[in-house]
Amino acid sequence: MLDMLSHSFHLLIFPGGIFALFLGLLLKGIDRKICARLQRRVGPPILQPFYDIIKLSQKETIIPETANKAIFKFAPVFGFMGMMVAAMLIPVPGVWNGATGLGDMLMLLYLLPIPAIAFMLAGSASSSPYGAIGTSREMVLMFAYEIPLLVVLLTIALKAGGAEGSEFSLAQVVAYQHANGSFGFNLSMLPAFIAFLCFIPGTMGAVPFDLPEAEPELLEGPLLEYSGPLLAMFNLMSALKLVVVMGLGVTLFFPGTIAGGALANLLWFVFKCLILMLVSVTIVRTATGRLRTDQTFKFYLKYPSVLAYVSLGLTLLLK
Amino acid sequence: MSIIDSIKSKAVRSPWLYRINAGSCNGCDVELATTALIPRYDVERLGCKYCGSPKHADIVLITGPVTSMVKDKVLRVYEEIPDPKVTVAVGVCPISGGVFRGSYSVPIMLDEIIPVDVNVAGCPPRPQAILEGVAMALDIWKTRI
Repeated sequence: MLDMLSHSFHLLIFPGGIFALFLGLLLKGIDRKICARLQRRVGPPILQPFYDIIKLSQKETIIPETANKAIFKFAPVFGFMGMMVAAMLIPVPGVWNGATGLGDMLMLLYLLPIPAIAFMLAGSASSSPYGAIGTSREMVLMFAYEIPLLVVLLTIALKAGGAEGSEFSLAQVVAYQHANGSFGFNLSMLPAFIAFLCFIPGTMGAVPFDLPEAEPELLEGPLLEYSGPLLAMFNLMSALKLVVVMGLGVTLFFPGTIAGGALANLLWFVFKCLILMLVSVTIVRTATGRLRTDQTFKFYLKYPSVLAYVSLGLTLLLK
Repeated sequence: MSIIDSIKSKAVRSPWLYRINAGSCNGCDVELATTALIPRYDVERLGCKYCGSPKHADIVLITGPVTSMVKDKVLRVYEEIPDPKVTVAVGVCPISGGVFRGSYSVPIMLDEIIPVDVNVAGCPPRPQAILEGVAMALDIWKTRI
């Protein structure tokens, strides 16, 4: 009973649920503001994503006549719920150790593609040609960026397992790094960190790799036919995904804590998420243009995958 | 209740723009898309966003006289924009027909087929006039949500 209560608390309030939604929308606002400042514009207010959500929730929902209505309505809810559960698994070092006993790293590996799958469902259910192209591109992109992620997680698990074997619990990974130093400052883990940095814009659909949405070309692809509350649901999903991916990055590579109690550590975690987002999403998307599908696929197979394998090899050698 | 109302009223700060070309000569489109709504004047600071899909739109900007070939398409795209929405007619063509007035291919005016809220006159209108039109559309939009 108590276990269920604490799980619901973590799912709905902290670190998933309300906290993650708030943090995700705030991070998105800061991302848009800084992107605008880098382009010498004034930019929207930092709370703009909140206004967008409020606006969208009051708009009318139009469902295309030719769409598969059940899947069309189900896709955003599916993606949103998947990310809610994923946000619950992210440990906040110094505040909360993560949901132990849930095999969290493997579970995250399965939960992270859910937004992409939701996009595919949405794109194919909306019966729009742009949605169909978006779906096929999302599929290609997903196969491309899942490989480096898998190898990076494997490397981390082997490294955190010490001399004996592997460790697939995020709480144990954090504990290992607190005892032996953060992986981000470890020379043999550096290629894996760079591979993870390359993985972030792909999974977030940020500009060099925003193939499925591709605003000027596909008019947001799978999201084209969505309006009102269902579109708001997709926006909330991507805000949650931002928190999950950034939180995962912080957990895997920089889980260091500072003195000063839980609140200071919470702010420190938010600050690290923000810095990671600036480096991997905001600056990259401001400075680059979109790649073609084949270029993206080749990029992911050539550089991040190879870097991740280098890290894996080094880890195995130094064991 | 008042808190919920004040949260709901924040929706005014997120108007998304959508553009329909109803047979325009492209003069107004150039002023609209490449002069008025570019980073130089930065409509994003008002919370505006250019969107490619009519399903995401709140404020719709229409240029060009409504030619007989494009009338049905304009109506269809207009129907796809979810309520509440505000219509802005940009340029003199959708207002009165402009230089195309009386042509065999311009049988009706825009306000005969859809309700127009703001008229921005000019051939083409200056970017500042277009931005003012968007600001007036925002004031009207406030009363609809």
